[in-house]
Amino acid sequence: MNCIVCVTSVPDTASVIKIGADGNQIDEGGIKWILSPHDEYALEEALKITEAQGGEVTVVTYGPARAEAVLRDCLARGAHQAVHVIGGEETLGDSFKIAQTLAAILKDREYGLILVGVQSVGTDNSQVGQMLAELLDLPHVAGITSLEVGEGTLNASREVEGGKEIYESPLPALLTCQKGLNEPRYAALKGIMAAKRKPVEKIEPSDIGIDEGAGAAYRLRSLSLPPEKGEGTLLQGEDDPAGAAGNLVKLLREEAKAI
Amino acid sequence: MDYKVDIRDIKFQLFEWLDTAKLLESERFGDWDLEQMDMIVDEALKIAQEQMAACNDDGDRIGAQWNDGIVTMPESFKPVYDTISEGGWIGLLGSPEYGGMGLPETVGTVVNEFFSGSNVSLSLTLMLTRGVGAMIENFGTDQLKATYVEKTYTGQWGGTMCLTEPQAGSDVGASTTKAIKQDDGSYLISGEKIFITSGDHNLAENIIHLVLARTPGAPAGTRGLSLFIVPKIRVNDDGTLGEANDVACSNIEEKMGIHGSPTCSLVFGGNDGCQGFLLGEELHGMKLMFHMMNAARIEVGMQGCAAAGGAHQQALAFAKERLQSRHWKMMKDPEAPQVAIVEHPDVRRMLLTSKAYTEAMRAILLQASYYLDLSHTAEGDEAKKYKNYVEVLTPICKAWCSEWGLQVAHLCVQVHGGYGYTKEYAAEQYMRDAEIACLYEGTNGIQALDFVARKLPLAGGQPIKDLLGMAEKTFNKAKSDPELMEPAWLLAAGLKQVETISKELGKRPDGIQLVLINAVPLLDMVGTCLGAHYLLDQAMLAKTKLAAILEDAGIDTDDKKAYKAFLSDNEEAAFFHNKVQTAIHFAYRALPTVPAKAAAIRSGEKAALYAIM
Ligand SMILES: Cc1cc2nc3c(=O)[nH]c(=O)nc-3n(C[C@H](O)[C@H](O)[C@H](O)COP(=O)(O)OP(=O)(O)OC[C@H]3O[C@@H](n4cnc5c(N)ncnc54)[C@H](O)[C@@H]3O)c2cc1C
Repeated sequence: MNCIVCVTSVPDTASVIKIGADGNQIDEGGIKWILSPHDEYALEEALKITEAQGGEVTVVTYGPARAEAVLRDCLARGAHQAVHVIGGEETLGDSFKIAQTLAAILKDREYGLILVGVQSVGTDNSQVGQMLAELLDLPHVAGITSLEVGEGTLNASREVEGGKEIYESPLPALLTCQKGLNEPRYAALKGIMAAKRKPVEKIEPSDIGIDEGAGAAYRLRSLSLPPEKGEGTLLQGEDDPAGAAGNLVKLLREEAKAI
Repeated sequence: MDYKVDIRDIKFQLFEWLDTAKLLESERFGDWDLEQMDMIVDEALKIAQEQMAACNDDGDRIGAQWNDGIVTMPESFKPVYDTISEGGWIGLLGSPEYGGMGLPETVGTVVNEFFSGSNVSLSLTLMLTRGVGAMIENFGTDQLKATYVEKTYTGQWGGTMCLTEPQAGSDVGASTTKAIKQDDGSYLISGEKIFITSGDHNLAENIIHLVLARTPGAPAGTRGLSLFIVPKIRVNDDGTLGEANDVACSNIEEKMGIHGSPTCSLVFGGNDGCQGFLLGEELHGMKLMFHMMNAARIEVGMQGCAAAGGAHQQALAFAKERLQSRHWKMMKDPEAPQVAIVEHPDVRRMLLTSKAYTEAMRAILLQASYYLDLSHTAEGDEAKKYKNYVEVLTPICKAWCSEWGLQVAHLCVQVHGGYGYTKEYAAEQYMRDAEIACLYEGTNGIQALDFVARKLPLAGGQPIKDLLGMAEKTFNKAKSDPELMEPAWLLAAGLKQVETISKELGKRPDGIQLVLINAVPLLDMVGTCLGAHYLLDQAMLAKTKLAAILEDAGIDTDDKKAYKAFLSDNEEAAFFHNKVQTAIHFAYRALPTVPAKAAAIRSGEKAALYAIM
């Protein structure tokens, strides 16, 4: 069974994020871009399925030229080919536009499963997968932590507050994947070597009828960093523990508004 | 352990300072490109941080366990060993024909820094296994190659090197292990080896020992030694495993560090049933073993550098967190708040010294690895020239880097204060683990003797002359830069001492005694000059790159305030700025030891020989 994995490149979670000069984008200088960690679960699952059942894994990304490195990373881990829709700077965070673009790429392709990360680190909207499924008219389960793929059907489970939901769905289907589903593999050296020769299909949004400037469903007006952590307050309680405790309660109630 | 390493400096040295791109143009490495090198470095670091480091504490606290002849590794080691083997990381330098990846040594050295810095014990098993594969690939018959090489490159079988015996440590030629030729062409091995790293463990299904032994009638000393392949479990003709090969592990050592590395006493042929296969020719054992030892010496030097680099990052992170005492500008004000210890000038000195030595070690190791690659890609006299550079640099890599690795680990414990002495922090383990690199693969004393007696005079002294000549060029280049002028002159002064002292010692009647007493300081003098040369060269490159960034941003360095503010906000600029400060610091702090040592040697002082001991 062929699997499609939609991936995105995000700033390394260890990067120091700074706001760019225009105030509504991050400053990309000095940022290391990596495969979004949730997408790693989607890719790993696709690789496991095709290793067990045959078929190929195609990774797809919609992103700027630098996103190709992330596709190469997926190819090094074992994906068979890649599709790169080059663009996305203007539509960053616009889940619907992203889903439309991916749908335009995928609508005529042949696949049994589409696997997507539950959300992309950074924007964390958790919407693209579900929107894409609706646009392609596919059944979908979001945030799965286990999966079994049978003949024409699948069983997937997802964690919910205090329990687990188990779904059965016909194929083809779309699943969004998260931590717990599997242990993503490392790229083997052989894989890194082979990745160079695997095909990356490059597509301009206009080739598939997407006008990036039109019909934005979402606009990022401004970004700001969380306020810096203030200095801690030390309450001296050695001489008067009861008084200090009273002070602590007062501060928690009035300043921290925690109780 | 949370493994931290200065990846920016590693990439700077690998991709910006060394011309790695040129290496990849050669036929040998033509299948690789820079983007892949970058991916390999990133992936290796990820494995080091997520896998190797994660089982490091088990190695240190649980350690390798010996029970009734069987060595068991901490449980968490096996899956990590498997991930690394299957990923091709053991065979990364080996030839693709035998399941290797055919990568350049230069990249291998970077990978070694990560593996060694995140879990030195486990990295030793990888290194020896790789070494055994390479030895059989280079010197084995087709049949031996077909049987053993791929299995070791893929980690299915482990490897060891067996030289040491109780009476044969530095004096390898005193080995008594015997090998007697059998009718079928194999040899019957009998004897006892001690201190054998990874001599037994449960990470691989078989272990291939390379054993130095003496055939009947062989001459005394190292000239009488031959090298044998001795599997722990015999291998059937079809490559499957057969019966046990009468190799017993009688004990493992309790040690100061590297607890996750089993240091084994091995008894070969205790029941007269130990079969070995000759590698190369009889009596060529030591010559062949030097191939493995030379590679291992660079790797052991990297253990020093990796410990230093890891410990430095730990100390730096700690120094930014730990609040203690007031800022020196408010020393007299008891009401002033405590500051992070990174604000204290003495702590900063320790941090910058440890950074400088780490980067100097890294440069020496990478440069040696780069020459090793060039010796493979070049031909004829060119290849020979690079090979000789590697020969000269090898004892410096091993001894200078292990010695300073330990010193840096010590400085980094010191930065931590009392916390550094506790097992809460990784610094103390780095320090305990670093000492062994000064001892094995030939003690640093023996390295120094090799350096002065064999490597300095090598090829009529041309290779060392070339290497120091390149340092001279760096001096000439750096001296016209006002900021680097004095450091450059310090380098020139060091080089002058190195040059004159060797000439003088040759002429003195007590020259031999002085060389024997002073081999270690002589090696240190040359190592220090080379370290300074590489750091200054890097500083010049960093200055150009920094200038470009500043020009782009429209920053004037004369405006100190604006420049400082810019650096605090631009990591890349701060990195280059620090490269310059590091080189300056090293020049002023390390280079003056060169004339000081020279003065001591020149004085002819021999109290160590006169003292009654
Ligand atoms: C943890 C560990 C792992 C090891 N792993 C291996 C391994 O895998 N395989 C293996 O074969 N060996 C291994 N060794 C052995 C190691 O290589 C030897 O310990 C080392 O070579 C020194 O030999 P020795 O211990 O007998 O010391 P000695 O040779 O007794 O040396 C004692 C001191 O005398 C000095 N000395 C000796 N001869 C001279 C001389 N001619 N001139 C000046 N000074 C001299 C030495 O520098 C040293 O300071 C290992 C050792 C340890 C501790």
